[in-house]
Amino acid sequence: MKNLIIKEFKLSLHPTTFIFLSFAAMLLIPGYPYLVSYFYMCMSIFFICLTARETKDADFTVLLPVRKRDCVKARIFTASAMEAGQVILSVPFIAIKSALMPLPNPVGMDANTALLGFALAFFGIFNYFFFTSYYKNIAKVGKPFLWGSIGISVFTILVEVLTHAVPFMRDVIDTPDPQNIGYKLIFLAAGIIAFVGLTALAYQKSARSFEKQDL
Amino acid sequence: MNVLKAEGLTKRYSGFTLDNASFELQKGKITGFIGRNGAGKTTTLKSMLNIVHPDSGKVYFFGKEFAEAEMEIKRRIGFVAGGFNYFLLKKLKAITSVVKNFYPDWDDNAYREYIRLFGLDENKRVAMLSAGMKVKYFLALALSHRAELLILDEPTSGLDPVSRDEILDIFLSLAAEGKTIFFSTHIISDLKRCADRIIYIKNGKIIADDDVENFEAGYRLVYFDTEPAELEKEFIIGLRKERKGFSGLIKAENAQYVSGTIEAADLENIMLHIEREGV
Repeated sequence: MKNLIIKEFKLSLHPTTFIFLSFAAMLLIPGYPYLVSYFYMCMSIFFICLTARETKDADFTVLLPVRKRDCVKARIFTASAMEAGQVILSVPFIAIKSALMPLPNPVGMDANTALLGFALAFFGIFNYFFFTSYYKNIAKVGKPFLWGSIGISVFTILVEVLTHAVPFMRDVIDTPDPQNIGYKLIFLAAGIIAFVGLTALAYQKSARSFEKQDL
Repeated sequence: MNVLKAEGLTKRYSGFTLDNASFELQKGKITGFIGRNGAGKTTTLKSMLNIVHPDSGKVYFFGKEFAEAEMEIKRRIGFVAGGFNYFLLKKLKAITSVVKNFYPDWDDNAYREYIRLFGLDENKRVAMLSAGMKVKYFLALALSHRAELLILDEPTSGLDPVSRDEILDIFLSLAAEGKTIFFSTHIISDLKRCADRIIYIKNGKIIADDDVENFEAGYRLVYFDTEPAELEKEFIIGLRKERKGFSGLIKAENAQYVSGTIEAADLENIMLHIEREGV
């Protein structure tokens, strides 16, 4: 598994992955729908899979002494690591923003601890919709990306609507840190559970599909 | 000793069936897998390694069933479809640095030696290699992890005659060292040059699995000045109109039943007439 992850980093990762990782800094933009900044990482995962088709990545990898399901595990693990990396990288930017610009965000969720939970749930949803569709037929990457994008768009709209329409969300969760940090930590924990759970489920379903697939 | 044994490999697609393919590969021999385009060569090779899932059949490598010893078998073989056309924009050294991690028996000294011997430049990207150099790079990787069986799908397809000759030379040297080579091709001269055995597939069915000499000895080429009689036609495989008269293939044991001029048949003529049969 370790060798497959090394392979992902050396041969499969698209250069935009690292550029989009740095988009965590977008949390410093005043008045911005911050969940959107996590969409770019989803795009880079799409680029990885698109490039993999052109480089015949899967044809190459399944010939190595590995199980087919391990190829899936390595790809999803690497994608998740980059997603988690962007969330972790968001922490210092949230701290900077809270210290220097502790103003409410007029267009959506504040850059705060709860946002990290929403971002993780956002990635979990993308992973589930994208990878389960992608591994049904790795030659078709556009349709899985469409499904993933629909999933995260619905989620983003839902979060933003709730932060405007539900008093608890508006007054407690959508506030600058460290206000109501206890509640926000609960949202972060729920986000971690959603991310891990949905990604694990995505792996199980994807591995089953990929094992059945003729290459 | 059998390095590989395929039993009843069957894979059904709409419009094509790999039908009950059974054959064996002998250690240290070069076996050519011939058949025209679309005959089922690639499907057979991919089914052997479960890259394509056969509907039925079993494959044994080194006496072990593939499904039960997949990891060990993959460490002991090298397989490439066509040339090495993966990660075209990556440098060879980047790919090698990844591949070597997967093989406990990887021999770095041997790798350096093959890179030198084959004239490969590790700083080149795969896309910069000629088709012949791509095959050589695959061989360098496979030989450096001490693959005992090399399976190549159309390795000489698209190569110029000189490069083809070089690759076939390498095959001969490797077979002399005890490596087993199984390669598919539709280029008959490749087989004449280096194959000990041939496996012939037509329309998804294995129709021959034999030594090249035995296979050739089993047929005769027969020439007729005029169209042969109906009775004779029953023995003729793939009757073909020539500039002057007709030619056909017959099984050696049927030579007494035809009246034309009989000559020894070579692989090319055998394949041409067999493929003509049923057209």
